[in-house]
Formats: sequence, structure tokens, C-alpha cells
Amino acid sequence: MTRVTVARISSLQGIRSGRRLAARLRGHEHVFKAAQAAQASLQRRPEWIHRLAAWDDAVHDLFEANLGDAVVLNFLRLSEQWPAQRAADDLLAVCLTVREIGCGAGSRVAHALLAVMPRILSRLATADALMTLFAAFRQLVEAAPESTGLVVGRLEQLLRHGDAADISAWISAGLRAAGGRAARRRAYFALDDALSVRLLFGRSGAGDDFSRLEKRLAATTLALWNRRVRFRKLAFAQLPPVPRRTSLAAGFIGMPGGFPGFEGDRSDKLYLAASAHAGAHLVHSSVRFPVGRLKPLQLALVSLIEDARVETLALRDMPGLRRLWLPFHTAAPSSQATVAALMMRLSRALIDPGYEDPDAWVAKGRVSFAAAADRCSDPAISREIGGLLGNDIGQMRLQFNAKSYVVEPVYRDDNLALWDFGDQPDEPTEEIELPVDSVRLERREETGAALDDTARPDQTMRARARSVNLLDGFPVATYPEWDYAARIERPDWTTILEADAAASAAPDMMSLDDDAARRATTVTRDASIGRRVRYKGQRDGDSLDIDAAIALTIERRVGRAAEPRVYLRDAPGPRDLAILLLLDLSQSTADRDRQGRSVLDVERKAAAIMTAAVEAAGDAIAVHGFSSDGREHVRYLHIKSFEERMDAVARSRLASLASSHSTRLGSALRHAGSYLAMQRAFRKALLVLTDGEPSDVDVSDPHYLAEDARRAVQQLRRGGIDTFAFGIGGGPLSQLDRIFGERRALRVSRIEVLPRRLVQLYGELKK
Amino acid sequence: MLLDQYLIPDEPYYRPLKDEVELFSAAYASRMPVMLKGPTGCGKTRFIEYMAWRLGRSLITVACHEDMTAADLVGRWLLDPEGTVWSDGPLSTAVRHGAICYLDEIVEARQDTTVVIHPLTDDRRVLPLEKRGELIHAHSDFQLVISYNPGYQSAIKDLKESTKQRFAALDFGYPDHSAEVEVVAREAGIDPRIADLLVKVASHSRQLKGQGLDEGASTRMLVNAGRLIGCGIDLKGACETTIVVPLTDDPDTRNTLRDVISACA
Repeated sequence: MTRVTVARISSLQGIRSGRRLAARLRGHEHVFKAAQAAQASLQRRPEWIHRLAAWDDAVHDLFEANLGDAVVLNFLRLSEQWPAQRAADDLLAVCLTVREIGCGAGSRVAHALLAVMPRILSRLATADALMTLFAAFRQLVEAAPESTGLVVGRLEQLLRHGDAADISAWISAGLRAAGGRAARRRAYFALDDALSVRLLFGRSGAGDDFSRLEKRLAATTLALWNRRVRFRKLAFAQLPPVPRRTSLAAGFIGMPGGFPGFEGDRSDKLYLAASAHAGAHLVHSSVRFPVGRLKPLQLALVSLIEDARVETLALRDMPGLRRLWLPFHTAAPSSQATVAALMMRLSRALIDPGYEDPDAWVAKGRVSFAAAADRCSDPAISREIGGLLGNDIGQMRLQFNAKSYVVEPVYRDDNLALWDFGDQPDEPTEEIELPVDSVRLERREETGAALDDTARPDQTMRARARSVNLLDGFPVATYPEWDYAARIERPDWTTILEADAAASAAPDMMSLDDDAARRATTVTRDASIGRRVRYKGQRDGDSLDIDAAIALTIERRVGRAAEPRVYLRDAPGPRDLAILLLLDLSQSTADRDRQGRSVLDVERKAAAIMTAAVEAAGDAIAVHGFSSDGREHVRYLHIKSFEERMDAVARSRLASLASSHSTRLGSALRHAGSYLAMQRAFRKALLVLTDGEPSDVDVSDPHYLAEDARRAVQQLRRGGIDTFAFGIGGGPLSQLDRIFGERRALRVSRIEVLPRRLVQLYGELKK
Repeated sequence: MLLDQYLIPDEPYYRPLKDEVELFSAAYASRMPVMLKGPTGCGKTRFIEYMAWRLGRSLITVACHEDMTAADLVGRWLLDPEGTVWSDGPLSTAVRHGAICYLDEIVEARQDTTVVIHPLTDDRRVLPLEKRGELIHAHSDFQLVISYNPGYQSAIKDLKESTKQRFAALDFGYPDHSAEVEVVAREAGIDPRIADLLVKVASHSRQLKGQGLDEGASTRMLVNAGRLIGCGIDLKGACETTIVVPLTDDPDTRNTLRDVISACA
């Protein structure tokens, strides 16, 4: 009974709203017809019975919004094709959003949204996702109507990089970061802005399996194989999708950012298996086979035997690796007798003693391999057995498709590194074509030695220098800035672009002169760090000072009154410190004094001496530098991080620093503070070496940046970080007192005394 | 005799690595001070016990710590009902009565403490007891031996040059593979095959020195692991308890060690 009543009421409403819509569409015959068609299609669906009236109203309002017939027609078409599994309310939400976007950003944007809807619906699988996205759009169209079209236009592309929540976060971050300026918003939403790109793509880049495991893989490879190898993430083209494999090249192990189909624990296991296999190659694949005139099938088979050979050798030392590798060998005798399947079965037969396979070819491979067991350390057996088995395949008249062949199982590498392709690149027909679209790692000249060269600074340096040196750095953080005039904190106002400072391949110019080294050592010794200090003869304390107690008793026995100071007290000795030395690298640091020394030269020297002293004392020190070119480009360079030693690489980075641009001090202080905050030390100190006052190209008010820096210093102090500044040279330094506080802004007018003053301060901090 | 309590009654197990037994015996013959260098848990202390037993001398061991004062070594005045009495410290006892005095981990002591050994370590062989106004001439059997682990030295914790140069030094490393297997199997009382496995794990872990670990797994750790295995704990559990967890707190490095263990077993 109830149901019928409800249906009648709703249909009554339906009739009323339908009439209203029909009245409104009078004179627009093609729209009216389309509306009837859509209505008819929706009416057939049971869940729409109660929603048809709302739909009528929605179409009515959409038409009313006067966005042009095309928009309404498009919506009607969408309604007609609305997937049965999607809720009615979702469609109504689309209509509402289209109307709002149309009103705020123009009918063209509304039209674009409708046009893209059918294609993105599948990516917005739940009603929640749709609502999240639309809420973000409403926010966007309200605050940035001019940019809405930019977002809608690339919506499909955006959804490929993140879900609705990601896009929503990206939109609100953009609105905040732009701070009300349309030009900046446009740049952000057009993806012309570094921050924007980072926010959108950064998440997926940093969180992949490879990045998570890289440190562990490198350590495990070192532990198991005693090889220091650099791991690299390989970029794989999305289309056409190719199976991803590890790739070895001179001193590198390249791995994909993730293996599709492997997640969580299985992914960890796969990476471990792959790195263990790569390690086995590094240790046991000592020679590269000449390709010569070998056919692709022979190359693939020789590679397969070589894989089995290195694994067999590895298993002799480390039988536990079998547990890692075996689960990936899933080939079974029941598979079809194609070459690829037979090869997978042979791979399994060679490593899995418990595997039984009736195939004669597989059995022959197994027997030949077993017969060569005592010559296993000789790579030549791979060539022999592989060649033999290749001939058999030929006689079996089985087809081998080199184009679609992929090394199996998944943990094995592409085996390209096994082969010496010689100097004839114009002989492609003879080469095996493995469809792994990996980045070709540059083959460096010192191929052979590259595996364990870390002890040699110049090579390490070259490798490290290669991997860095992004000209502007990577946007890693945004910071607020304090507007003292408006008394507000502008959120996400500045963008830090961070990079390792470029290391020059020039000889080590920053080696310490004797005097400096001696000074550094003296300070260290005097500070005698890390010991607890014991106070004898105290009135109270943790334990008895036996000598004092005896002396006291003697005094008493001879009848003299003496003070009962007989206790020992332990107190922490000089504390452990973490120091971050922040170098001002602005253009003015290139100015030279009468002796021809630039401020930068002195900063460099002071940094070198300081790090030597602090490292000798066992404290943590990092050296960073900064300069700025407007608030979106606060460059922040790592010269030496807390974890690195002051080695040849760090020294060469120091030596190749150059002066440029301006001094946006506050942002650099905040960023430096974030590094110090992560350090575990009793006391944390930020030491800034600068030659002047904060300034930047986009700020005209001379007090603005100084006040912001002052606020940054105050915030750091509240966070337990002491901040000191050394004002170098005779430039205008009056603001330093205000920023850092009088006792923490130290003037160094004669620049040659800077190193000494720095080391003195270090001694003070240790007390 | 006062020194009897310091005699080592039974032969301690020690497996010579190279010619250190002969070298030490020769050094003892001329009462030359000896420094034993090497990473922790490689057998320095066991060696000196063995040598003391072999030479038939008492061994007085002092574990140095940073609060140790000169008085803790040479002695101090104490009180009894009649008045003050002098009580020799361990070093004075050894010097007076002729024992081998072994200062373990000498760098842990403060540098101003360690200078009291200087007059003992050159040809004077005397120990001045300043507070008592006495000069002890060393007994002819007395010898000074110190140990020190160069692994975790920083600029601060190092021996003074003037101290270092008074000693002959024996460098101890971890034994080679088969020797270490023998030691672990013997000490833990386990099958040599299991010992072999443990030693493999250790040698892999030693490659991580400076790359996440300050020191790799020591022979002592392996013996501990072996003892747990001997009590019926499985290999993985024993290694976890005696190697992985004690060595590091870093989760990545722990995982690496677990990878190593599972690769070897």
C-alpha cells in the first residue's frame, strides 16, 4: 500500500515539475525533444522514480542559467547515457556543478566539463569521489574563475596521476599558494609552476616500492656480495606496456619503481630476489660474452644458462637464497611446448631440485648442466650448453619470437650486461631485441673498476656530481612569510628549490692549510667533548667521595671541625651539539676586499675549518647555502648534509659555490630549522654567515624581509634552536641585531678572522 | 698468598690465530708492556687469560671506565679503629707482588688517570705512591698489558702519544673462516655446520661496517647465538636475539641483517 502511495505522490510531483520544465522549454523544440528522450530513458529505471522530479528541476535550472543550448543538450545526452550502476544523485550533482561552473567561469568551461564527464566517470568510481571533486570545483570557481577552465581542460590527465582527493588537495593548495594573485593562480593550474607539479606528481614519485626499499637493497647487496653498487630507478614508458625487468650496467643496478601486480610483502620479496640475482651476476658473471654471430635464441639460452650458473654458485655459499628465488619459478610441465614456456621450465629445472619435467629437451638441459657442475665457476659452460640447446630447438622446428621474448621469471634481469655487442652497432639483425624499454644507462669509461671504486674520490665524485646538478633544484617545501605591516602570516608564500651543490671535478682546492687544521684540533681537544664531569667534595651527590670522607674523618678524629663535603656528583660534560652552517650565497658575497678576497672565499674557508673541528669533536654538522630570486625561487643548496663526511665530494661542492641573486633570509632560516629539528642532539645551533641584510627582487620595503627573518628566528628559538649570525665585512649590518638579537649577531669586520670567531663560538656552545 | 686468588686454575680455551702466543711470550720474557688491539668480542681478553695461565702468572684485570681515578688504580688510605691504613689498588698489588696487570679498554679512562702507568712502562719499572711517600719497585714477574679497540675512537678518546709509544702491540682481528668456525663450535658446543652458517652471517655483516653498522657481528655474538641454538632455539630466533637486535636500532639495517641470515641459512 505505502509503496503505491509514495509512487503516486512522487509521480504527482513529477507531473508538476515536468509541466514546469515543458513550459520553460517552449519555443526550444530540439531541447524539448531531447529532454523528453532523456526523461523517457530515465523513467525506465526503477531507482529514478523518486528522482525524476528533482531531475526535471535540475534541467529547468540549468536551462534557466542561460549557458546556451549546447550545454543543456550535452547534459541531456549524459542523462540518457547515464550508467545504470551510478546513483541518480550523482547525475544531479553533475548538473548542479555544471551550472555553478557555467555561471562562475563561463559556458565554455561548463561545456568542457560535460564533454569530459563520460570519460572520467570510471575514474571516479564512488559517489564520495565525485562529491570530493565537485566540492573542490566549487571552491575553485569561487576563488579562481579564470583558472577553472585550465583545470577542467586537463581533468582527464590529472585523474591519471591521482584520485579525486589528490586533485582536491592540489586545488586548495594552489589557491592558498597563489595568495589572491590571478597570474600566479593561472601559472599554478596550468602546471607551469614548480610547486604545482611537485604537489601533483611528487606523491606518487616518492612513495613507490623502489624508493622505499632502495636503502635496504643497497645495504643487503653490500652485505651479501661485498659490492657497493648504486641503485637507480628506471623509467618505463607507459605505452605500450612492457614487462619490467631489472637492468645491470657498469656499477649500477637499475630497477623499476614498482612491479605491476606485486604489492606489499610480495613486492618486497621480488625486489630482494631481483637484487640478489643481480648481486650473483656482479660477483660471478666475470666476463662478457661476445655476441658475434649468435642468433637471438642462442643469446637468450646462453643468458638463461648463465643465470642458472650464477645462481648455482651463489647457492653454494648462501643456500637460503633458494627460498627467495624459488617462489617465482612457477612453470609447470603442463604448459604448452612453446619455446618461451620450455625455457621457463628449464629455468626452474636448473634451480629447483624437486621439480620434475617429462620433456626431453628440459631433461637434456638439466643433465648437461649437472654434468658441468664441477666446472661451474667457468662462464664458458653457459656458452657451450646454451649453444647446444639452441641447436636442439632448431631441430625441433619450434618458433622463437625474439620480439616478444622477455626474461622469466620476473626477478631476473634483462641480461643485456652479459653481452659484449662489439663495435658494430649497425648490425641490428644479429642482436637480440629484448623489449625492455629501460633508460639506457650511460656506460662510463671506467667500466671494470666502477664496481668497487667508492674508495676513489674522483670517481665517486663524478658519479655523485652526475646525479645532481639540477640547475634550479627541486621544489621541496613552501613556507609562510610574515607581513609585519598587515600583521598576518602569508601561508605557503615562498617555495624552496633544493639541490645538492654541484661538485666540480677540479682538484681538491679546499684542503686545509696547516694553521687552520691545528686550530681546529686545539679547539676540539680543549672542549674535550662527550665526557661526564665529576665534581668532588660536594655537599650532596650520587656517591661518596672516599678520599674526602677519609680526610673528613681524620679531621674529626684530631678534633677539628670540618665541613662535611664528602659526596661526588656527576654532571653531563660538554653537551653534544648539532650545528647547521648556513652560507649566504647572494650576489654581494662576490665583492672583494682590498686584498682581493671575496666574502664567499672566506665563508668557504670558515666552513671548511669549522666542519673539520666539529667532526673531530664528534658533533654533527651540516653546511647548506642559500640565495633567492623572488619568493618562488629560494634556492637552497646542500654542500654537506649531517650524514655526509667532509670528504672530497663535499669539499669540491664547497669549492665550486658561486654567488648569485638575493637574500631571502627568513625562508632559508625556516628550511634550515626543519633540518636541525630532525637532529637528535642536546643543543642545536644554526649559524648564518651573511654579508648584509635580507633583500629580494620582489620586495621593495627594506623592513619586510628583516621582520620576517626576525619572526623566523623567534620561531626557531621557541623550537629549541639557537640562531647566530655572523655579519661579514663592512656592509650595512644594522638590521642583524634586530633579526637575531644583539648578543647573537656577531660582527666580523675583518673577514680573515671569521674562521677563528666561528670556532670560538663553537667552543662557547660546548660549555 | 695474596695473588693466589688471581691465578687461573684451568687452561682457558684459546685458539691461536697467528704467532701471537710466541710474540707475547717473548715480550713477557723481557717484561715489555703489551697493548692488545682489535674489535670488540674478537678474543683479546681470552688471549690474556690464556697467556697468564700458560706463563703461570696471576692476572689482575681492571675494567677501565671514565670515572676511574688514579687512586682507584694505585690505592688509597682507609680508616680502621686504630687509624688510617693504606690499601693497595689493583695496579699496586700487581706491581708489588708480581702479577700481570691487564687494563681493559684503557681509553675509557681519563687521560690524566692513565699517566700513572708511565713510570712502570719504561726501564724504571717503578710505581710512585705519592700519597704514601713510597716508591714501589716492580716485582720481577710484573707485566702491564692494556687493551684497546681502535674501532670507535674519535679525536677525544684516544691514547696519548706518550702512552702509546711505550707498548708493543698485537693486532687482533676476527679469525679466518675455518678458525672462527672452530672457535664458535667449541665455545658454544654446537655442530660445526651450524657454526659455519653463523660465521658466514657474521662475515657478511662485517661488510656493513661503516655502512649502517659501527661493527659487524663479533665472534662473541656468534658464540652467544650458538649457545641459544644449543638450547633448542631455532637459528632465526637465535640470530635475531643475539645479532640483529643488539647490533642496530635502524629498521633498514635490521632488515638487511635479516636478509643476510635468511640468505645464508
